[in-house]
Parts: sequence; C-alpha cells; structure tokens
Amino acid sequence: MVDMARVWPILCQFGIGGLLCAVGVWAGLSSGYLDMKLKDDRRLVAVIVGGFVGLLVLSCAFTFWLPFVGGGDAS
Amino acid sequence: MIGTQLDLIVMVSYFVVVVGFGVYFGKYSSTTKDFYFGGQRFAWWVIAFSATATTVGSYSFVKYSAAGYNYGLSSTQSYLNDWFWVPVLLLIWLPIIYFQRIQSVPEYFERRFSKTTRLVATVFILIYLIGYVGINLLTLGQALHTMLGWSVFAGASLACVAVTFYVFAGGQTSVIMTDLVQGITLLIVGVGIFLAGVAHFGGFVDWWALMPESHRYIFSEFNKPDKFSFIGVYGQDGLANTGAFVLMNQGIIMRFLALRSVKDARKMSICWILVLAPLAAITVSGGGWIAKALVENGELETTANDSFIHAAHLLCSPGIFGFVLAALMAALMSTADTLINASSAVFVNDVYRPYFKKEAKDTHYLKVARISSLSVAAIGLLLVPIFDGETVYQAHAKFTAAITPPIVMAILLGILWKRFNTPAALATMVGGGALVFLSTFSPFDALFLKPLAFGMGEGSYKFIRAVFGLLVSGGLGIIVAYATRPQPLESIAGLITGTQLQAMEFFKGAPLNRREGEVVYVPVETDASLSGDETVLVSSAHMETLAAEAGDLLYVCDRRWWFGGLRSFHTKAVEGGEGATLRLSAEAMARGHFQDGDVVYIEKQF
Repeated sequence: MVDMARVWPILCQFGIGGLLCAVGVWAGLSSGYLDMKLKDDRRLVAVIVGGFVGLLVLSCAFTFWLPFVGGGDAS
Repeated sequence: MIGTQLDLIVMVSYFVVVVGFGVYFGKYSSTTKDFYFGGQRFAWWVIAFSATATTVGSYSFVKYSAAGYNYGLSSTQSYLNDWFWVPVLLLIWLPIIYFQRIQSVPEYFERRFSKTTRLVATVFILIYLIGYVGINLLTLGQALHTMLGWSVFAGASLACVAVTFYVFAGGQTSVIMTDLVQGITLLIVGVGIFLAGVAHFGGFVDWWALMPESHRYIFSEFNKPDKFSFIGVYGQDGLANTGAFVLMNQGIIMRFLALRSVKDARKMSICWILVLAPLAAITVSGGGWIAKALVENGELETTANDSFIHAAHLLCSPGIFGFVLAALMAALMSTADTLINASSAVFVNDVYRPYFKKEAKDTHYLKVARISSLSVAAIGLLLVPIFDGETVYQAHAKFTAAITPPIVMAILLGILWKRFNTPAALATMVGGGALVFLSTFSPFDALFLKPLAFGMGEGSYKFIRAVFGLLVSGGLGIIVAYATRPQPLESIAGLITGTQLQAMEFFKGAPLNRREGEVVYVPVETDASLSGDETVLVSSAHMETLAAEAGDLLYVCDRRWWFGGLRSFHTKAVEGGEGATLRLSAEAMARGHFQDGDVVYIEKQF
C-alpha cells in the first residue's frame, strides 16, 4: 500500500512547482520575450521541461524504489 | 585545536592565497559599474561557481550535516526546489532588472510604485543585510574559535579585515573571482569527503546498506517530524526563502547583473541549479550521511552538529584535513564578502545617491562605495559581541522571518499583476510584516499558525510562519489593490510582465533586432583615427554573419575562455569597410584589456 505521507511531498513540490514554471513560461510567451522561432528560446523551454521531469524522476526513484534497495533496518 | 600544525599551515596558506587573489583582481575595478556589477562582462561558468560559493553559507556545513545525520537524504530538499523559480527569474524578473538598468531591489520599488515604498524596502533590506554581515562574522569567529582556540571577536576581526581588504580593492570583481576559487574548493572538498566515506565502506552499495531505511528518502514525511516535516521545510525554504533568494537577495541579483548578457544568465542558472546546487547539497550534507553510517558501523561517536567535522577528521590524513578547514573558511568568507558588497550597493544606490548627492562624478561614487564597504564591515563587526548574546540575534531572526515573505510577495505581485499598486505594496510589506512579527509572540503564534500546521505542534511554527507570511501579506495586498485605483499602464511599462520587450528597447535605445546570427572570431587592431570608449568598426562581411545592423548591441570578448569574460566589453555596431580585423579606439582596447593581434569573438545581442 502506498504511504501517502511520502506521496504528498511529491504532489506538493511538483504541483506548486509546475504552477510556478507555467506562470514563468506563460509570461515569457505572452509578452513575446520568449520567441519560439528562435533556437535559443526553444532550447530554454526544452531545458525547463527537462529539468522538471528529471527532478521528478529523481524524487520518485528516491521515494518508491531506492529506499528499499539493499539491506538496512526499518527504523 | 582541531587537526595538526600541518593542517593549520594549509588553512592559513589558503586564506592568504584567496585574499591575494581578490586584491590582484582589484585592478579590473575602475568604475562603480565594475565595483558593483563586475563591469557586466563575466561568463556564465564564472558566475555559476561563484554563486554556489555564496549560497553555501557560513551555517550550511553545520546545519545540513546535522540534518543529514538526523534525517538522511531529505537534508537535500532545500536544494532541490530552486528549479521551479527559474522560469519566473529568467523570463520575468531578470529581463526587467537587467534591461531597465535597475541596480537594487529598493530601486525597483520606486520605479514600479513610489519613493515611499522604496524607502520602506531600503530600511528593511539594509537591516536584513547588515544584520547578516554581523551574523556571518560571528559564525566566522566561532569557527576559528573551534578550530584554533582564538577568542570569537579576535577571529571575527581577522576574517573581517581579510574579507574587507579585497572587497575594498576590487568590489564585485574581486568577490566574483575569489568566490570562483572558493566555490571550486568547497565542491571538491565536500564531494571528496563524501566519496572518501563511500570508498571507506567499500562502495555505494555497502554505504547504502548501512543507512537506516528512514534515512534513504529524498523528502521527509509530509507532516512529521515537527522540526523537519516536508511541508514546513517546503514552506520556509521552497517558497519563502527560495523566492527571496531569486527576487530580493541583493547579492544574487548583483551576481546576475555581472553577467555579460541575459543569454548567459540562462546558461548560468541551468548549470548552477541543475548541476552545482545538487553537488552543493552533497557537499554540505555528505559529512552527516557518512557520519551516520560510521556510527551505525560502530566506528565513530559524534553528535549531529559535529558530524561533518568528526567524519572528515576520521577520513582525512593530516594536511588533507587542512583543506577541509579551508573549505569551511571558504563557505564563511564567500558569503561575508557578498553581503558586504551588497549592503554597500544598497547604501550608495538607495541612500547616498537619492538623499545626499544626486549628481556627482562616477569617481566620487566609487570612493563612497569603497568607504561604505568599510563602514558596513565595521558595523557588522561591532554587532558580533552584541549577537553573541542570544537576544539581539533572535530579534534579527524574528525580523528577517517577518520581512522576507512580505517583500517576496510584493515583488512577485508587482511583476505579475498590473493592478497591484503603491497602497497595495505598502500594505503587503508593512501590514504583512507586522502580522508575521506578531505571530512570533504568544498567544498569536498558536492563533495564527496552528490552523496552517497540518496537525503538527509548536516545533513546526518556525517553518509554518513562512507559509502564513506569504498568505497573509499576499492576501492583504490583493484586498488593498482591489479597493484602490490601479496605476496608469504607461507608468509601469517595462516593469511588469507583458512589457519585457519594452524594457529591452529601453536598454538598447532603438528598435530590437532579434534575427539569429553567428559568432565571429576576428583579430583586433587599434585605429588611431577612432576615439571614445564606444567606438569600433566592424566589416560589412562580419556584420552580415552576425546578422547585425548599425546600432545593434555587440559583445566583444577575448577568445580564451579561461579569462571568463574579464577581457571584454560591450559596444554598439558601427559598420566600417571590408578589413579582416576589428578596429577599435585606444580607449576601447584599454577597456577590453586587449592588445593588437589578440583574437576576439563578437556576439550580437539584439
């Protein structure tokens, strides 16, 4: 059974974090400052999304998988 | 004294080298722009490492090693939430301050709201910064007391003199260059200790097996324990402190403004937050994790607060341990120098210039900048014995907790919401700050904070106070904004999201050219017929490769990357002839620290 005390932190961090990222990207796009016709700007959006996904994967690995790998007690 | 005479020699040598390094780079500081913003010429990697050294504060090794010892990997959670603020920083806040040439957070408040708002922000931020100078010097003194047995004030005085010496000589340029060295030192030592510990146990698998399961999670449980729950740490660090870090930390803002372009700010942020911050998290926490495994293995007895130093002492041979002590000093000095430079910037920009001498030569302001750096350091040092008694220290901590969330909310709403006006900003800062301050006293703490504590006890209030501060100050600001008239849109152009392109046009003073071009590598040549600092002649062929037009902003930099932008300058494109060289006036050659025949690269900005 999933321990919600371990799930809520991920939902909270990446939920509010996703909202903050969305606000920033929206502000860039709606102002025209972020121009998706430019290679650098496309790369920036890709890196923002990639960083978000990478951190999410890392967080899930250290919550649902790696704590149970190897020996150790359950203190 | 901890360690041997050899360790002491290594530490003192490091100390002398860093101070000498900082003083050497003083020669690159000849204007206030150099003194506060490093001439806006640094490459992303220099700033990324130096900012890492600044963020690893005086308290970091003790605080995060203790957290790592007590709670395991979740000690890193404070370092893993910066990424979510990056889009707000890079796409809204940074374009506004960089292109509007805003030099301090209070200056933004005047441009966006009013003079009164700037005054309130100046007072809050100066107390906050100078208080932190005192706290940092106190921590420096305490560290030297533990390591060498000196009195706290004597240690703080020596460290203060050393740091102030190079800040006085070179301002931000010296701070950046010394922090570059200190950042690299910190990361090598911290990660090195962790890897040495892992190797001591026979590899990652064996070390991991010694860690209790409760220590293997990246986040602590949602609402427990009271003093290290996820929601408490996230509210305080992930929202309030990280928000403050990217929006109101004058030292970090100055570091961003020292970059050669906003494009470099992107690279710097990505390297800093996705690569160096996780390494910094390992640097400051790793000692605690290794100490915990050593204790579990029956090899060490220690307390959480001493875990880093004890683990390092056990793992390092004499001499190498001296580098560990040097890394601790690096963490302390790299924060103190930034704070002194930042406090001086706020004083000159927001107190001296507007209230004492509005129009003067740059050399005058540079002199005042140097004197104010000395004064800030002296006040900070005087605070050391006062802070050594707990009461004033705690008062500053309460004050900081009270003003941080309101200022973060005032800036955030100011850049995001056009309706947010002067009365709303004042209500957010003063009203919000007062309510948060009230929440530090009984019975208001329980009254205000218990409903937000997710069932946790009083131990969580310190953390939950940040969430309360953000909610209450934001709420007050929104109510007042709706109850009062909005400012005319034309008065806030370039200062709010949606108007970033206007800010860029303001910066350039001409229409933008965002066509994509290529970087051009070319030798430089002095042209005696040219004069003035801004005069360069670019050949037609190079203009075409750059996709540049006359008047576009160019960045000219020595092609040798290891200078990190020290030999460079900004200029405007002027088309001239068909030559294979870039022709510069003698003044421009001097400004860029170039010599005839040096190969530079030219980059069009916009």
